[in-house]
Amino acid sequence: MTIVMAVARRAVPDPALVLAVLGLVAVGLVMIRAATMPDPRGLSSDTVRQILYGVVGAVGLFGASRLHVGVLRRLAPLIYLGSVASLILVLALGAEEFGARRWIALGPITVQPSEFAKIATVIAVAAYAAEREPSVKFTLVTLGLALLPMALVLVEPDLGTTLVLGAAWVALVVTWGVSGRVLGGMAALGVSMLPIAFAGVPDYQRERINVFLHPDRDPLGSGFTIRQVEIALGSGGVSGQGIDGAPSALDGVATRASDFAFAQLAEQMGLIGALVVLLLFALVAWRGLEAALHSPDRFGRMLAGGLTATIVLQALMHMAVNTRLFPATGIPLPFVSTGGSALVGMCISAGLILAVASHRPTQIHDLWRER
Amino acid sequence: MTAAAVRVRILQGVLLLLLLIVAVRVTGMQWLAPVIPPEYGDGLAPRTLQVEPSRGLIVDRDGEVLARNVPEFRVLLVPGDLPDDVEERRSALLALERASGISFAELESAAATELAIVDPYAPVLVEDGLDPEEAIQLRARLSGLPGLRVEASPSRLYADEPSLAHILGYVGKLPADEAEMLTDLGYPLDGQVGLGGVEAIYEDDLRGSPGRRLVLSDPQGREVELLATDSAQPGADAVLSIDLDLQRATAEALARGMDAGMAVVRTNTGQQRPAAIPLGAALVMDVRTGELLASVSLPSYDPNLFVSGEDEEIAAVFADKANPLIDRTYMAQRSPGSIFKPLVALATLEEGTATEHTVIYSRGAITIQDQYNPGVVYVFRDWMAHGNVDMRRALARSSDEYFYYMVGGYEDFEGMGPDALAEWARAAGLGSKTGIDRPGEIPGLVPDSEWKEAEFGEPWLLGDSYPYAIGQGYLTVTPLQMAVLTSAIANGGDLLQPRVVHGFRSGGIVKALPSQTTGRLEASPTNYQIVREGMRDAAAASGTAYTGVPEGVTIGGKTGTAEFGQPYPDGEFDTHGWYIGFAPYDDPEVAVVVYLEYGVGSTHAGPVAKEILEAYFAQQTAGDRVESRP
Repeated sequence: MTIVMAVARRAVPDPALVLAVLGLVAVGLVMIRAATMPDPRGLSSDTVRQILYGVVGAVGLFGASRLHVGVLRRLAPLIYLGSVASLILVLALGAEEFGARRWIALGPITVQPSEFAKIATVIAVAAYAAEREPSVKFTLVTLGLALLPMALVLVEPDLGTTLVLGAAWVALVVTWGVSGRVLGGMAALGVSMLPIAFAGVPDYQRERINVFLHPDRDPLGSGFTIRQVEIALGSGGVSGQGIDGAPSALDGVATRASDFAFAQLAEQMGLIGALVVLLLFALVAWRGLEAALHSPDRFGRMLAGGLTATIVLQALMHMAVNTRLFPATGIPLPFVSTGGSALVGMCISAGLILAVASHRPTQIHDLWRER
Repeated sequence: MTAAAVRVRILQGVLLLLLLIVAVRVTGMQWLAPVIPPEYGDGLAPRTLQVEPSRGLIVDRDGEVLARNVPEFRVLLVPGDLPDDVEERRSALLALERASGISFAELESAAATELAIVDPYAPVLVEDGLDPEEAIQLRARLSGLPGLRVEASPSRLYADEPSLAHILGYVGKLPADEAEMLTDLGYPLDGQVGLGGVEAIYEDDLRGSPGRRLVLSDPQGREVELLATDSAQPGADAVLSIDLDLQRATAEALARGMDAGMAVVRTNTGQQRPAAIPLGAALVMDVRTGELLASVSLPSYDPNLFVSGEDEEIAAVFADKANPLIDRTYMAQRSPGSIFKPLVALATLEEGTATEHTVIYSRGAITIQDQYNPGVVYVFRDWMAHGNVDMRRALARSSDEYFYYMVGGYEDFEGMGPDALAEWARAAGLGSKTGIDRPGEIPGLVPDSEWKEAEFGEPWLLGDSYPYAIGQGYLTVTPLQMAVLTSAIANGGDLLQPRVVHGFRSGGIVKALPSQTTGRLEASPTNYQIVREGMRDAAAASGTAYTGVPEGVTIGGKTGTAEFGQPYPDGEFDTHGWYIGFAPYDDPEVAVVVYLEYGVGSTHAGPVAKEILEAYFAQQTAGDRVESRP
């Protein structure tokens, strides 16, 4: 019996985390099916596509969970440079859609490199920090490592992913142990830079911030979507409008199953569905950081901590936008929203957390220092 | 606990706390204080409806409204509002028949369409085109009777000026073959779209962008409460470059010219000849911008034909042998005749075939022997013996012989040949579309030796070059191309892209579209000046184009009379009458082109140009008086 348990434990280091991920993907599939249903019996092409990406994601999850994290640590510089190169590539020859260059077409599928940049950045910062004590200088180097992909993603433009990358960096340096004094100083500096940053904000984003601050003032109708979201939540009530493709307050919103996935599922499945999703993310936060906590070394701790924080912070930002706690920004809900790159990327992240949870030390030659 | 562990615990705590905040917020929005109160109960559902924007008007350059929006009243049947029980449904339909006068059979079939089974609350059109009065009375009679309703939907009413029909176009139901593409673009299935003319070409500007309404509706699809609106952006008004008054004056002058020109058609010749149908076109173009101030093609049709015309009227227009649907300013190509000569003169000077002082003695005809059979002699006549002519006089007197020399050569004089001339014609924009903002333009034809070889498998002959030199033979042009060419002569070479829309007006502000050129007809200013002087001399008292000169203004002009069709027994032909001109000569503002299917350039087309230019200058001086008022 104990042998069976040991084998199962080796295959699935943390069943609770896997269950949380599977639960979120399942909720996503139900939501997407209802939101894009062509007729009551069929599966929409979006649903079929999401199922296929889910299968790829599952392979990615279990594959990543079998990795020796030491390999990642050794390959960190390569992974990071490859990711930056892919972000430059997407700007150079990416497909433009809805006025943004975010996708590279590879035959019939399109890949969104910024989804994988999140993982690469966490790996790079964790690998760099693992060998160093969190001094001001080294902290600034990790900030530089994060700022480069952030800048590349921002010009796509994809403000949502930029913010997620920034939040991931903060979580990483907190896990590293950067002193409160240094963090506070950097935060103060960051806040003082805000007006300058705001000057560079594109008009459509500024408009959204304005509409968020003054919903009544609505010259371009951007407040209409916010209003639709509110009504979707309200009409969902406690038990929801059902998952059989009933008319939705979000009908006509192009991104209802991605940027507004939370509002969409809350309308379909009600408060109960929304709270289940929140609970599943809480489970991810708890189990992911437990893995970090029990990691035998700093790299594993920062990797698991950084990836968990990335997933949960992205979910929080998405839900904050969907509940009018944050200005409208296109951020997909991890594991739930439509989008192949996002789903596969998130599954790989979860797999890497599992790899850390399997308690294998990551001591290896330090490439960063040898160079 | 180590310091590192404390950090992880802090992160864990912060994340869980943030998730808790979202949970509280969601609970508030979904349960404790939702924006839709739960007492609305079951069955109500939010629906997003599209709101069509109001279509922009079409106005002339002075703001006179040429296309306005009017409500069109129609009767719609909503099958879902009728009782389900067969007997009750029958009596309800009978009651509707009595109230509306629409037959029971018609109502019954409208209630039993396939769509009615899928979506019983989708309205079905049963009658349209009601008078406002009828509509109000019917609405009163139908009150209390569910199933039928009277609805006003937007429609168009066009200015009652037939010469505008081609320019304005019309709006109508989505064409079947484009319906899917248009509904993807957000057009409602029962909506309207511009079909032809300005309505089609500038559809996007005129339409505006639709708005949305988020409503709470009951299971029958009826609106219970308005939850949110995103107002529609009305379309911008299209400001035409056309001046309605000048357009009317042009149409009237052209109609008179067409009547007069029919004098060239001889009857009682004993021949079987196709019936001669009077056709014509006239254009006034601003030589500085390419804007058309007037553009008339006759015969035309009622601009409201396709919106509110009866089926028989539409059928009659389609069956009309005169083909009124064709706009002859740019959709019909004809031999230009002598109005081609100014371009030949420019080409001659530029090619170095002759100088402005080269003198040719015109004897009234030239003769050439057949290449293969010396016994056969061909005669190429001039319209009279002009004696000694130089370049300017050749234009002023429209000497055919002079231009025969220039293109085909004669005796010792070497002409430039057909291929060099073809290059100049193409450089002047002939043989290709002008790029006007109107649908269905045709390019005309510029022949050369290669073209003839490919088309007929025969080599180009000298006998092809002589007619070419005087704008006859294979060469065809549209009146619009001649307007662009005349403008280029007047402005020194810019080939302007002609337009009928000056700009768009929204919120009282007119935004003009930029002037564009399709290229330049490169030639030296001196040579342009020589050609313009030749045209000025043509429009002088002793010239052939004097009939087109308005009172008190010096202009440059040129007439053209091109033979076409089947010869009469005496070898004579029917002729197209042409006139081109630019005015005033010293500082050109406008180019004018007149084309008559039947007529003689100086006798019939000239007077039309004169009337048009007089109308233009009368308006200018009237305008100046208004402007100079204190």
